[in-house]
Amino acid sequence: MPSWAEFQPYIVTGLALGGLYALSGVGLVVLYRATGVLNLAFGAVGAMGAFIAYSIIQAGGPGWVGWITCILFCGVVTLGYGMLFGPALAGRGPLVQSIATLGLALVLFGAIDLAWPTSGGQSPSISFPTDNGGFSIGQLQVSWTQVIALGLGVVITVGTGAFLRYSKLGTAMRAMANDREITATLGVPVRRVEAAAWLGCGLLSGIAGIMLADLSALDDTTLVFTVVISSLAAALIGRLRSISVTFVAALVIGLVHDLLTPITQISNYQDMTPFVLATIALLVMPRGQVMARTREEG
Amino acid sequence: MIDTAGTKAPVAGRRGPLMDRRSLTRLTVIVVLLLLALFALPPIMSAYYTVTMTQVAIYSIVTLGLGLLVGRVGLYSLGQLAVLTIGAWVGARLLFATGQPFILVMIEAGLVTMIIGSLITLPALRLRGLYLALITLMLAGGVTVIEATLNFPNGGGGFSGYDGSQLHTPQIRRPSFAGTDPAFYRFAVIVAIVMFLLVFAHLLARPGRAWAAIRQSEPSALAAGINTTFYKLWAMALAAFVTGVAGALLAGADRQLFSIDFPIQNSIELLAVVLMGGAFALSGAVIAGFLQAFLPALLQDWGVPNDWLIILFGVGVMQVLTTAPGGIADQFPKDMKRLYRFISRLWRRPPAAAPAPADTATAGKRGGAA
Repeated sequence: MPSWAEFQPYIVTGLALGGLYALSGVGLVVLYRATGVLNLAFGAVGAMGAFIAYSIIQAGGPGWVGWITCILFCGVVTLGYGMLFGPALAGRGPLVQSIATLGLALVLFGAIDLAWPTSGGQSPSISFPTDNGGFSIGQLQVSWTQVIALGLGVVITVGTGAFLRYSKLGTAMRAMANDREITATLGVPVRRVEAAAWLGCGLLSGIAGIMLADLSALDDTTLVFTVVISSLAAALIGRLRSISVTFVAALVIGLVHDLLTPITQISNYQDMTPFVLATIALLVMPRGQVMARTREEG
Repeated sequence: MIDTAGTKAPVAGRRGPLMDRRSLTRLTVIVVLLLLALFALPPIMSAYYTVTMTQVAIYSIVTLGLGLLVGRVGLYSLGQLAVLTIGAWVGARLLFATGQPFILVMIEAGLVTMIIGSLITLPALRLRGLYLALITLMLAGGVTVIEATLNFPNGGGGFSGYDGSQLHTPQIRRPSFAGTDPAFYRFAVIVAIVMFLLVFAHLLARPGRAWAAIRQSEPSALAAGINTTFYKLWAMALAAFVTGVAGALLAGADRQLFSIDFPIQNSIELLAVVLMGGAFALSGAVIAGFLQAFLPALLQDWGVPNDWLIILFGVGVMQVLTTAPGGIADQFPKDMKRLYRFISRLWRRPPAAAPAPADTATAGKRGGAA
């Protein structure tokens, strides 16, 4: 068993990763509650955005142009998908709607591989100017990027919570989560509210994509699957409903995942963390809650 | 092809004559196609396409299992590739460790996969639709991680049967009667036929009716006295069994297995091809097998990057779910019928237009515009 000192750096990286999972999880939950769609293309969109940012920076463009392009691209793609397929599939239930987003994920995945082939040589990467700066707590080095990652997670979670609670648009989203038809009858512009949710989810996927490309790796399989699976697990533990539970679960997943790194016996299996935690959560969760709160075919 | 769309009652014809003319024609077509696949194809196929067609036969079994879950019971599983991986691993391990006949190993691999698959999905069965899909996606991720660490057996000792230090690893053995590629291709087709018959028999019997009821509405199935959890588990177990058999077959076909051959995106691709092929008909599974195993080989033959195929599958999923939920198996005959009607109308038009005045040009124009 490694000593406590060996674990310490992984608390920092774990919390940073957890912050980004939280941000992604919150994006997924908000979209799901507003539209009934679980955006499984979340990671793929973010990955594509990150690769575009990488190309811009490679071509000599300033960093901030790349980051903003990435976030905007993700917002536009997700919004476009939502506008195109949201209404077409609206009556088909959450399951079919969510499976359809896998189509988008596959398209983007193939496009990324085509445009940025994984060949030998230098692997693509993205770095922020905040990577090198930072401070230390005792022996522990903390970079500003890690602080930003965790901070973004907190800010987005709190901000989204407040937004849903107090703003008019947020109230409309909460109403639609309860009943789309009644909300429409009450005069809420359902399409516009859904568009806002799609856009928000897309922008968040862009932020998550570019940050993870820096903190983790700019690799399409990692970005597409690890991110989606981790944040999905967090959202699932939050029963696709509670933003605060999702946030805590995301931090725990990030922490556990990274804290397993120094334990050599099981560090190979650390990527199973989200799966194991989500399964345990689903098992422990009372059956009634899972069944009753699933917005299923009816 | 065999069309037993879940929406129709599977045993409607039991009291009538044993077989009406349409299903007789269908049966004849299927038998002729199978005979062609078994005897006419092997001599004319190149070595490359013999291997490819073996993969098609194997993946048809996998898509058969997944199609059963998606189309009959409404369980969208994203973890079928993980199940196939388990089957291939168990099959390879047993083939290295024991001298049992290949067919026995296949059945054992199927049974072990069935047990593991049922145990893993048992907690997920408490959940409905979306949650199940998500849990299976995570399962796929988990098995990929384990497989990358454990590796496939390559003749080493111990539990894993993997020896990283070996440079020249022994090949996984094949049955004595199917050692060559063409012979193994025939063997794979026959195994596929047996698996299709197994599933078909289930569909005709009590489980098939129970699954159809569950897919229509779980609460009403429950109200009708159907033990929904039991029958869902049965569907899962049956799908896992055939997929496990396919895994052992894959071990024999590839002769050497590597974990990079089972990337996680393939589990999504697998669901994509099942949806595109058509989850509601058994013929859809064959089409899906071709999409999954034949198209990549064809593209490689033509020198087109495989990524285009992934994009195509992505578009296909969105298109199928939006406009044609029956997939190709359902849509293609309809389109062919429409085409036939269109052509036959064109055919009949000229005689009708012939008695018209001598000005054939305008008559032709009128006929064309009508």
